[in-house]
Amino acid sequence: MQSETREATGAQYGVVYATGEELVFRPGDQVRVLTRTPVGHYRVPTYLRGKRGVVDSIIEPAAVDNEEEGFGRNAGNRLHYYRVAFPMSEIWAGYAGSPRDALYIEVYETWLERM
Amino acid sequence: MTGSEHLVTRLPNDIGGLPADRIEQADHELAPWEKRCHALADVLDFHKIINTEEKRCGVEALGAEMVAKLTYYERWIVAFSNILFRKGILSPTELATKMDEVDARWTSAEDK
Amino acid sequence: MAASPHEYEHDHPHAEVSDPNRPGYYDIMETAVRELLIEKKLIGADEIRRQIEVLDSRTPALGAKVVARAWVDPAFRTRLLTNGRAACEEEFGISLYDDTQLIVLENTDKVHNLIVCTLCSCYPRPVLGLPPDWYKAKPYRARAVTEPRAVLAEFGTILPDDVDVRVHDSTAMVRYLVLPRRPERTENLTEEELAALVTRDTMIGVVPVTLNREAAA
Repeated sequence: MQSETREATGAQYGVVYATGEELVFRPGDQVRVLTRTPVGHYRVPTYLRGKRGVVDSIIEPAAVDNEEEGFGRNAGNRLHYYRVAFPMSEIWAGYAGSPRDALYIEVYETWLERM
Repeated sequence: MTGSEHLVTRLPNDIGGLPADRIEQADHELAPWEKRCHALADVLDFHKIINTEEKRCGVEALGAEMVAKLTYYERWIVAFSNILFRKGILSPTELATKMDEVDARWTSAEDK
Repeated sequence: MAASPHEYEHDHPHAEVSDPNRPGYYDIMETAVRELLIEKKLIGADEIRRQIEVLDSRTPALGAKVVARAWVDPAFRTRLLTNGRAACEEEFGISLYDDTQLIVLENTDKVHNLIVCTLCSCYPRPVLGLPPDWYKAKPYRARAVTEPRAVLAEFGTILPDDVDVRVHDSTAMVRYLVLPRRPERTENLTEEELAALVTRDTMIGVVPVTLNREAAA
């Protein structure tokens, strides 16, 4: 079942969700990629750090953080990836193309903040 | 300030947006060992001995010079070896001995 | 018996006259790793062989069938665009590994989609097989996200300004497949004939499908 549906249903029955079980972002939310600079493995490209976009969709199902998977973690602590749309002009100064050109990428919950 | 932080904070595979040449529309038929290497990756992932993300991490850990100079599957097999050592599944001595043994099969064949 | 002087003069290393089929360093490494893992019973001897068969079975022809079906069957097209993984599983029995999702991106007269993996080489292997070398190399990966229109132009694809370009950088558990536009004047083609027009590169998004498949290759 999609998380949005589950949460809508749960709300009717007084279900209280634990840490990490609830969706943090919804389609249409304006988000910003954090500006952490990890030592070692990461899966959010440098070119996106600090950039602002809009959540396009929620990727299901919830998944293990792939940055932790890189160190052998195969299970547990699942959060969501969010597919985010960034205008090209937001990412690159002087982008030479249409102002409506965009980049889409799936970003893990731990890398996004609400704007 | 050492000026070397960028080597740590930007992984060698993180190349989106870097200056680059024209695209050479090259492709090649995989050598048999390359195909076996790809199959090995899938089998290791299936058994959760080395998952796909661990493989990517292992390739990154080879560092910029090896990432630049080794070909795609060469990077994979070296990364697998390193990960298997770290996990205590193989030892460097074991692998080196076996590689010599495999190599010797060809030497003795040529001596005939 | 003492060695004659001639033996030392003509002491060539084996490599100079070695078999051209002799495996290189990495080939030997692969064989050694595989044999050790099999000896330790961590993988089965047959599993590698079997997985090679799986890899060989996957070619862009499968993706082409998905595209052609979407062109002729509007209900399938809707399901495909809603949930690519489920639609491919139900319609063609295609299996995606783990929780990998498939998002199918429809090209229209207003939107053109392009797929890249800047960090490595993520690719929809279950429907397209293995990626071409250029997809995995630096120029494409570095430039597809900064100047997609210039990259497309290198492949011969020029898009007018009123067509939006969307670049999809594959980094996690989603794989992408472009559903290219059906060429005009193909109303009388069978589904099989339509599939024959659809090449790998049209499903990555670097070129459109054209009637002349040879010209597009």
